[in-house]
Amino acid sequence: MRIRPGAALTSAVAIGFGVITLAGLLVSDDVSVISDLLLQLVVVTIAITVLIGLLNLLTVHLGRIFKTQGGWVYSLVMLISAGLVIVLTILERTDVIEPDVGERAPSAILLESVQVSIESALGGLVFFALVYGAARLMRRRVTWWGILFTAVLMIVLIGALPVSGLSRLLDVRDWLLEVPVSAGSRGILLGIALGTVVTGARVLIGQDRSYRE
Amino acid sequence: MSAEQVGLWAGFVLTLMVFSYILGDNFLYRLAVYVFVGLTAGFIAVVTVESVILPWIDATIVADNAPTSNVILGLIPFALGVLLLLKTSPRLGPVGNISIAFIIGVGTAVALVGAVAGVIIPLADTTAEGVNANTVNSYLVVAGVISSLVYFQFLAKRRADGQIRRGPVSLVIGTIGQGVIVVTLGALYAAAILTSLTIVSERLGFIFMRINGS
Repeated sequence: MRIRPGAALTSAVAIGFGVITLAGLLVSDDVSVISDLLLQLVVVTIAITVLIGLLNLLTVHLGRIFKTQGGWVYSLVMLISAGLVIVLTILERTDVIEPDVGERAPSAILLESVQVSIESALGGLVFFALVYGAARLMRRRVTWWGILFTAVLMIVLIGALPVSGLSRLLDVRDWLLEVPVSAGSRGILLGIALGTVVTGARVLIGQDRSYRE
Repeated sequence: MSAEQVGLWAGFVLTLMVFSYILGDNFLYRLAVYVFVGLTAGFIAVVTVESVILPWIDATIVADNAPTSNVILGLIPFALGVLLLLKTSPRLGPVGNISIAFIIGVGTAVALVGAVAGVIIPLADTTAEGVNANTVNSYLVVAGVISSLVYFQFLAKRRADGQIRRGPVSLVIGTIGQGVIVVTLGALYAAAILTSLTIVSERLGFIFMRINGS
């Protein structure tokens, strides 16, 4: 078997630092000092990775503008929006822009009035997509599981209506939320956690080496 | 018009532009989405620099009377970032894997401890405590959790005819678990509809308030 030194070094880094961090989080105070330091280093490295990603995003869109490729107007709008936030923040931090007493800073207005508005509107669009999806669910193929899904969906939705005379339905809804939904949620969360443990163990024993690709 | 008013009107116009998607994909909707992406990218850059990178540099590289070891330590994440940049080169790309391996190694350990200490033990504990209540519902919850976990397992036997099938016990319990999961997903879907309905009504209220001038 031929061992490539670069690949072996990469595996050694992942396994070595992983085991040291795990030991620090689980075992003694001496090791936890090292694991705390490793965690800090990872947080800063991820922050730098995020910046590299943003730089890449801006470079790609800048390229689209210079080459006047399709959709370059959108790229221009995106770059202006990103630049506006960064420039406003720099001007505020250097006290070039000083909001009056009781007024919000321009970057805060941009965040709370503009950014949050678009976010909420996009969240609102999800409503139409969800209702459309629910309406289409039973049109393609009717199955027992589809009927059960729709029945629960309707019970929970009707149960949320502020209408009197639905006490029996409300009892059913409360029981559904208390028993099967509670059990299913725990099952899903436990399934995800067990999957995380298995994948994590595979990485730490060197079975999963997808980071070398 | 004050900056606050400009912000509110911009929010109003952009909300209408996003809702124009109901009529189909169009120029205005895409414009609003690109504004959103740009603003998000800008804010992420600002928060990352101000909350993580500058404090790190202050505490290590440019700290008063910082020893050389501190400066070297402070430079390590930047060196790892430079290694990541090498991933764009076909020849030097594998060197960038060291940074990825470092992040994945430490991240895996944190995820492992988080999954065990933050999810498995507390949920198993809560479910077991429910049995102490000794009610029908508490036993049903335990049965639901176990059956949904059985539904998630993919162990099966290969028969003589080559077909792969679960054992009969596992099949029955797994089917009950599938029902539990379907009921859960139905309730979660309904909750998502109710949540998004709340957001829509808030946005519509905002639009009408702007039109009325309040």
